[in-house]
Amino acid sequence: MMLTKTHKTLRYLVLVIMAIIIIGPFILGFWTSLLPTADIAKGALFSTHISLQNYVDAVQQTAIMRYLLNSFVISLLTMAAQLLFCSLGAYAFVFLSFKGRDFLFYVILATMMLPFEAEVIPNFVTVRQLNLLNHYAVMVIPFLTSAFGIFMLRQSFRQIPPELKEAADVEGLNHWQFYWRVTLPYARISLFTLAAYSFLESWNQYLWPMLTTFSDKFRPVQDGLRQLQSQETFNNWGMIQASAVIVVIPTLIVLFVGQHYFKDGLNEGATK
Amino acid sequence: MQAEVTPAPKPKADQSAAISRQRAKGYNLHAGDKYYAFAFLGPSLLVLGTFVFYPMLRTLYLSLFLTDNVGRPTVFVGLKNYIGLLTSSAYQASLQATAIYVIAVVALTLILGLLLAQLAAKKLAGIQWFRTIFSATMGVSVSVAAIFWLFIFSPSIGLFDQIGSFLHLPIVAWLTQPGPAMTAVVISTVWMNLGFTFLILFGALQMVPQSLYEVSAIEGASESYQFFHVTIPMISPTLFFTSTVTLIGAFKSFGLIDLMTAGGPNNATNLLVYRVYQDAFLSGNYGLASAESVILAVIIALFTLLQFKFLEKRVTY
Amino acid sequence: MKKQTVSHKVFAIVAGVLVVLAVVLGWTAFSHPSASAQSNGRIKVVFWHEMTGPAQQQLIKFSNEFNRSQKKYEVVPEFEGSYNEAVQKVINTHGTDASPAVFQSMDISTSQMHHTGYTTPVQKFIDADNYDVNKISAGARAFYANQGTQLSMPFNTSQPVLFYNATLLKKLGVTPPPVNPSYSDITRVATQVMQKSNKKVQGMSVEIYGWLFEEFMANSGTSFANNDDGHTSTPTASNLTGTSTVNTMKWLQTNVKDGVFANYGASGNALNNEIASFLSGRLAMFLQSSATTTQLTTGNKNKLGITYYPHPDGQKSNGVAIGGASLWISNDKSATVQRGSWDFIKFLMTAKSQAEWQAATGYLALNKDSQKQPALLNMYKKLPEAKVPGEQLAAAQPNNTNSGIFMQGLIQARNLTQTAMEQIYARSNIQKALQTAQTSLNGNIKNNNRANGY
Repeated sequence: MMLTKTHKTLRYLVLVIMAIIIIGPFILGFWTSLLPTADIAKGALFSTHISLQNYVDAVQQTAIMRYLLNSFVISLLTMAAQLLFCSLGAYAFVFLSFKGRDFLFYVILATMMLPFEAEVIPNFVTVRQLNLLNHYAVMVIPFLTSAFGIFMLRQSFRQIPPELKEAADVEGLNHWQFYWRVTLPYARISLFTLAAYSFLESWNQYLWPMLTTFSDKFRPVQDGLRQLQSQETFNNWGMIQASAVIVVIPTLIVLFVGQHYFKDGLNEGATK
Repeated sequence: MQAEVTPAPKPKADQSAAISRQRAKGYNLHAGDKYYAFAFLGPSLLVLGTFVFYPMLRTLYLSLFLTDNVGRPTVFVGLKNYIGLLTSSAYQASLQATAIYVIAVVALTLILGLLLAQLAAKKLAGIQWFRTIFSATMGVSVSVAAIFWLFIFSPSIGLFDQIGSFLHLPIVAWLTQPGPAMTAVVISTVWMNLGFTFLILFGALQMVPQSLYEVSAIEGASESYQFFHVTIPMISPTLFFTSTVTLIGAFKSFGLIDLMTAGGPNNATNLLVYRVYQDAFLSGNYGLASAESVILAVIIALFTLLQFKFLEKRVTY
Repeated sequence: MKKQTVSHKVFAIVAGVLVVLAVVLGWTAFSHPSASAQSNGRIKVVFWHEMTGPAQQQLIKFSNEFNRSQKKYEVVPEFEGSYNEAVQKVINTHGTDASPAVFQSMDISTSQMHHTGYTTPVQKFIDADNYDVNKISAGARAFYANQGTQLSMPFNTSQPVLFYNATLLKKLGVTPPPVNPSYSDITRVATQVMQKSNKKVQGMSVEIYGWLFEEFMANSGTSFANNDDGHTSTPTASNLTGTSTVNTMKWLQTNVKDGVFANYGASGNALNNEIASFLSGRLAMFLQSSATTTQLTTGNKNKLGITYYPHPDGQKSNGVAIGGASLWISNDKSATVQRGSWDFIKFLMTAKSQAEWQAATGYLALNKDSQKQPALLNMYKKLPEAKVPGEQLAAAQPNNTNSGIFMQGLIQARNLTQTAMEQIYARSNIQKALQTAQTSLNGNIKNNNRANGY
């Protein structure tokens, strides 16, 4: 389709406006992170006193790097665990026969409807009784598996041609071997999607860590920022903005590098 | 129902139907599998049982009690917690706020996401840059989004306040008046959602066969006609998936509310999920908060069920 | 498909690396339990507090000084968010490794904390040490005592006061409010500020804050709850609709409606924004805790004015209750840890520490000997107004309506009074807003008493 010149200009105009709206908060956040708090407090947003002092302060005076490390550890553990347990579970629903298989599957499917947020009260009591409070474990153990992950991988495993299983049976592969050598490599795109999904879910956890962590040693980054925000907004807007930028930069880099794969993976999950 | 106008999933349906026909006689399933099943499925069942099933029953149980000052259920009150909630004006305000928030967030996210996807789908010089920018908020976590927007909306020093006073517009106290506060949290949420929604919808647009557009263009269809009669039906499964994800996400929105308004002013942004937190973990009313949890869970479950019913029809697994 | 070309080998390697990573991380992450009682040979005393800004800095300083002053204990301060959050955190972690050894809990949680039975009354240590408790302000002690037993140690103690920008008022030619102002004194000043600055400066702000609501009632001599605000026995009902409360709300509503008072809303952000406006000369007066004093003087070239909390017209001020928090010792820790907590509390209460505390924050020094300490003398020299909150406390005759409310569930009560204030600021019917809050509150009180078997 050919576009006329005015048409084209118009399209660019809309594109640019939308781009500014979307990128605006980033730029403003980044810009103010370079300004001294005194200027921000005065409303002097066009100050020329630019420096990296806020970043130095954030790294030296707050636990922001520790928060990042904590989040990284928690998210990675959750991701690895979900890949393992969800794929094992999904395998059972596709390649194993046992009593009540379909019933169990529907039960698990049903749990996808239950929001974790509505179950925090008893879950809090459970982790307290297990003495897991204020520990990495409390943010990983409840999320070792996920109904969504099992469901997604089951759909993916079902695409495996029966001939492969038959061939494997002929070769005498047991279930462990077939799971490891055939199923997982075959479904790697779905596994990649689940990995990204579970990592992000864990990274974005907010309420649960807020309820279960009580020290900077274990506090993940979302709640770390909340902590900084409540302590410092008045005293140090510049440093808060710098901390937010520190947190957002790694995810943005990952996003831009992995965008290509991510998009395909998500669409895989979305349309299936 | 637009199911008839959707030719895309069809081939897939045939294919997977073929696969499941094969499967019926296919994979050799053995009786001895149950030991494997136990090993493979055990961990997942244990975790789901402990952290999903048990708490569901426990929440139901707790919702029938008053709890004492250390959270133990002491006095059985039957459905009184529920009755009290549904008749309290504050809780009704929360229900209303949640409805407004969810509808606004879902509608704006989808419309803007679709607009962005549509804009970015056209082949123009430098379009790759725009695509990257449009997907950028996907890398933003909830606290970061809240902090960026909190600054933009803050009085005296915030961006909107400064623009307003520069243009001599009346100053809006964004986060301290009910209407503007709701607007502010909706804007922030939509902004945060856009990256993900854009990526998914953009991907779906890419998969619509170009030939369909070419054919309809030959028939003289206008661009808007194409949009409503080719694009929308073709991507409707994705559109529906996105809307449900956004909808459920909106029901569970906690972080933005917590950081930006803490449910205020005058409960205007006190969403159902935030109220659960307040009543349980600030006020220590675990019985009442359990009843609120149950109501929230029922609402979300209803919407999820609708999704499954609807999706089942449109897309064959 | 392009991605299918990734070989099985690569996949196996990636999967293998992930599993190894998970195991290694898991092992390191889970192997050391969170609350190891010992660190470098010292006994850990975890101290939970809710202080931000200069107060937090000062607390960290105190902890470091205490840790240097002896070799047995190591105090670890942890910031736990708002006062409201901390109460349930303490209750919810009790008996686990995550719980604190010593913690700060706000004034209105006193009754609740006591009733949980989760704490060791500091009286036990006062008796054991023959600690001279008379050095500590009697009014503050009384707030946290029950039937002659000191439950917790009063620590950060503030008075609600009125701050004004003296330089700004002078520049505008407005006579400042008197030291013990009535409502109409405030209205006069705020109105003049508005007029003389051509509406460039907001006259006054009263944050939507349950504490301020309670203090208005206290200063007019009205009980919030029956049974003398809980001082004689457990309250069974509240009274939010009395004439003087309605009149106070009328005063606020009229002024907000006329644009004489600004509305900064509720919660932590409100205070921050109030301070920001006050410092940038856009707000002339506001009501706040005396604990904000330091934030208002550091880096502020304008002269700060402080007066007593305003009282209704036509009556003498009854005096306001103290605000702030006290220090509690958890009883789920070993005797040694509890002893370490007590030693730390004693350290915080010395004349020197208390003087530094007031100088650094604006909270009142509770040790009577602090007034002679250089830290305080220097401060008074620089800012004579800093004496006002202490004078206000001294001027009040303690009685049942100005000594705090001894009732459980006050956090929720504050939510209700705040909602009522929000509605009133938004021009709702005053009587109706207060009545709604009172009805809900009475329901809560009834349920709470039932659930706890009172």
